[in-house]
Amino acid sequence: MSAPGLSALQEAFRTQLLSGEVPELSSVAGGRIPAAARLRIHRHHVLASLTAALAATFSTVEAVVGPEFFAAMAGAFVMKAPPAQPVLSEYGADFPAFAAAWPEASGLPYLADVARLDWALNLAYGAPQVPALRLEDLAAVPPHELPGLPVSLNPGVAIITSAYPIDRIWVLSHRPEEAGDDPVALDSGAVRLLVFPRADDAAFVALDAFEAALAASLLEGKALGEAFEAAAAAWPDADPRAALGRLLAVGALGLRAEMVTDP
Amino acid sequence: MRAGIGLRARHLDEIVQHAGAVGFLEIHAENYLAGGPALRKVERLRRDHALSVHGVGLSLGSAEGLDATHLARVAALVERLQPAFVSEHLAWSRVGGTYLNDLLPLPYTEESLGVVTRNVERLQMALRRPVMIENPASYLAFVHSTIPEPEFLAALATRTGCELLCDINNIYVSAENLGFEPGGYLEALPAVAIGEFHLAGHARKDVDGETVLIDDHGSLICEAVWTLYRDAVARLGSRPTLVEWDTGVPELDVLLGEASRADREASRAMQA
Repeated sequence: MSAPGLSALQEAFRTQLLSGEVPELSSVAGGRIPAAARLRIHRHHVLASLTAALAATFSTVEAVVGPEFFAAMAGAFVMKAPPAQPVLSEYGADFPAFAAAWPEASGLPYLADVARLDWALNLAYGAPQVPALRLEDLAAVPPHELPGLPVSLNPGVAIITSAYPIDRIWVLSHRPEEAGDDPVALDSGAVRLLVFPRADDAAFVALDAFEAALAASLLEGKALGEAFEAAAAAWPDADPRAALGRLLAVGALGLRAEMVTDP
Repeated sequence: MRAGIGLRARHLDEIVQHAGAVGFLEIHAENYLAGGPALRKVERLRRDHALSVHGVGLSLGSAEGLDATHLARVAALVERLQPAFVSEHLAWSRVGGTYLNDLLPLPYTEESLGVVTRNVERLQMALRRPVMIENPASYLAFVHSTIPEPEFLAALATRTGCELLCDINNIYVSAENLGFEPGGYLEALPAVAIGEFHLAGHARKDVDGETVLIDDHGSLICEAVWTLYRDAVARLGSRPTLVEWDTGVPELDVLLGEASRADREASRAMQA
């Protein structure tokens, strides 16, 4: 049999490393250790290292289900959707959807939302630093210009909503000493979390329905006045000034680029 | 230059307080490409420390060539950090758009040498500087390999002008796993091309009743690897030397201790 070309050999390796079994590969030398056992060392490394990378990104998911269950889930995900590039902190965008559809996790309906929160925190962690809009900045804008102000959410800022108390689940998983003694009540109502970058890490705060609607409108690209009108139509009793203050306090808001570059 | 250490996330804040404690710091390029607070800390560290940017994901042995997007990101990081050294591996990890996250072995053939030569040339063009290429830790070899690994590396250095990063632990691990004599391997490396040494610990695993050495960078450097390091320094001369630790990363002091020992062992070898 002639030796395989490099492309064919590399394709064969991929098939072997990502399939359920490790068949013979006749071009691998055996000797003291059989060729199949040598290939298993690489297969083990691929799976273990990618599982560890996913566990680092989806640390709350791992805390909720435990390392063994997580390894089974991550292993299945790796086989189905291996990374396409080597920056492992950017691997796993599809993991929340996978968690939602994975039959073994069907008894944990909140798990996909927990995964979405982990992913949003991961994106916020890597987000570039930009100057945050402050209350003073708004005070300096002539009042008639405020409604048209192109306020946006800063890079890395996201809104994660869930029918389950995923904020409590996060605290129980990472800061159990702050969680108190009450058990997590899965029927305690929907949460809307604002995820945002900080200087050394990423964090989230819970928003009320009005604040979340305001943030979502800004995210859609609505100008400040329009965003307020949209949110106020649904929640006429809300306090718009307090809501804006909360978003500003965590540095979630900025000005869209066209405004910043305008002389 | 005194020995350096691989910079690990858990030591980032502490190392800022230890300016001058080590000769240089090595970072893995792929850990800093997504930006974030860690990269901002490294940018502060580079004011007080020489840096080495060590790529683990460029896949220089891929028959399909380099990933242009990833190459551009690594080039931008190197441009931004202006490190003293840039290095990568004689290995591959990418095929058909899939990244396998392992330093996978190459058959040493004329075809592979052509592939790696093209990829290293493209990398050096993108970075506008020469790089160092590291010998791999091997768990298997191919029956159709025709070129001994040190000769393959020597030919790569001649063709591309790259330097070689001689990983002493990898030589030891490969020699045990594949059954060759590490001293002969060292003899076959071109001294003039070697720009840096790597040192690390490895694990011993039982695979089907046979012992296999795993290059996990998870323990103290073993005495046999220190002996091989002294042999290498005695034969090739001293070079910037780096201690790596990736699995179960201990307190910073343990790494600093290994780096100090590397300096002492190198002096001893030079005086012998």
